[in-house]
Amino acid sequence: MQVENRAEGGRGLGEFDFHGRALDEIFGDYREMHERCPVGRSSRYGGFTFVAKLEDIFAAEQSPEVFSVAPSMLLPAFGTDVPMIPIDIDPPAHTAYRRLLLPLFTPRALDELTPGLRATAHELAASVAAADVVDVSTAFARPLPTIVFSRFCGFPERDWPRFDGWVDDIIYTRTEDPERAFAAGDAVRAYFDELLAERRGGEPRNDLIGVLLEAEVEGRPLTNDELISYCYLLFVAGLDTTAWAIRASLWYLARTPAAQTRLRAEPDLIPAAAEEFLRTLSPVQGMARTCTADAVVGGRELKAGERVVLLFGAGNRDPDAFDGPDEIRFDRRKNRHLAFGAGIHRCLGSNLGRRELVVGLEELLRAVPAFAAEDPSEPWHGVGPLTLRIGGHEGR
Amino acid sequence: MTGIDVDRDLCQGHARCAALVPELFDLDDDGYSVVRPGREAIPDGDEEALDRALLAVENCPEQAIRVEPHA
Repeated sequence: MQVENRAEGGRGLGEFDFHGRALDEIFGDYREMHERCPVGRSSRYGGFTFVAKLEDIFAAEQSPEVFSVAPSMLLPAFGTDVPMIPIDIDPPAHTAYRRLLLPLFTPRALDELTPGLRATAHELAASVAAADVVDVSTAFARPLPTIVFSRFCGFPERDWPRFDGWVDDIIYTRTEDPERAFAAGDAVRAYFDELLAERRGGEPRNDLIGVLLEAEVEGRPLTNDELISYCYLLFVAGLDTTAWAIRASLWYLARTPAAQTRLRAEPDLIPAAAEEFLRTLSPVQGMARTCTADAVVGGRELKAGERVVLLFGAGNRDPDAFDGPDEIRFDRRKNRHLAFGAGIHRCLGSNLGRRELVVGLEELLRAVPAFAAEDPSEPWHGVGPLTLRIGGHEGR
Repeated sequence: MTGIDVDRDLCQGHARCAALVPELFDLDDDGYSVVRPGREAIPDGDEEALDRALLAVENCPEQAIRVEPHA
């Protein structure tokens, strides 16, 4: 219906948006961009230039001196005007900040937390399996990263019940009600201020907050403001994204019984399937930059000071980069997707996010019999309800 | 002989090579890719190793891996 409206002169690429309900039809927008407008202007959020081609996005990501992350990678803001460390910081300061946590996010380091991740996924999957009709967003996709990532960071369990509301306000409500997002942002900053004070007075612990409290940049400890900023980034980056990726994968599987059957029969395909879910249904559809100088992208001239949105989600469906770009193919051999961005700001948690998605899907598909979508109107995107009927297919 | 090389200035630690082709690629303590010692050269005729190396090339987001014939 909305696609028809657009053909009649409704919302076109000139008002392109990549948040909220605009995501309902965003894959159609991407097709239009690839057909006739791979670099263009949208009037949304103060105006920005969008970039849709995979190679153009990689080139921009690999040129941080021209494509700055100031004032923020987020457009619109994530409930704060304070730059988030390290994603909103350009080199050279960025390098030292990022290096602090790199060793903790390597696949080998993450092996240590995998048994706990698997046990949590196993437990949550059992509760899903026991239901007839269940919202797997609330029962599985959201609690898995809340539990696993919060333990990794050192966010105390007593505080977890407050997290979903803050995430919803900062990430989802921001496009409609920025004041509410900023109020939640203030609450989260105050929360970390208190938590950091508590941690300084307590026993040292080997979680991310513990590492940051001991860390040094340029021969000095991080200031309290820097610590709050880093914690804030971990909070907004590590919970919602993974929940979305898990939910979106289950959204697809609930509508595609043959894919469920195949992954149950051949669980070794789950990592490749996860890459396809990340490519096509990514939680991060785009990230913003600001040109520090005049530049040319895809033959179009950009001016210094111009805001640019690198549309990872569009690059991931670029027909020049992927055969059958809109199809999820578990046997896709070449998969240079942009779900985690690229260049110096490549998602620090990419390997953790992947691990949570793969282990989560493994445990859920093992424990839960065939499931089907109970409410076909639920969208592919976001972390809202995903209502499944368990045992809803023949041949379970 | 065909050489395998990782451009460490381009590598950003996506770790796809080590996940997909662990027999040829490893990661350092910060998660950046290194070719496994002793695997920097693929003998002529080892089509399987060559195919595996090319799989890593095709999945490296940063195009940091080079697989090229040695003189």
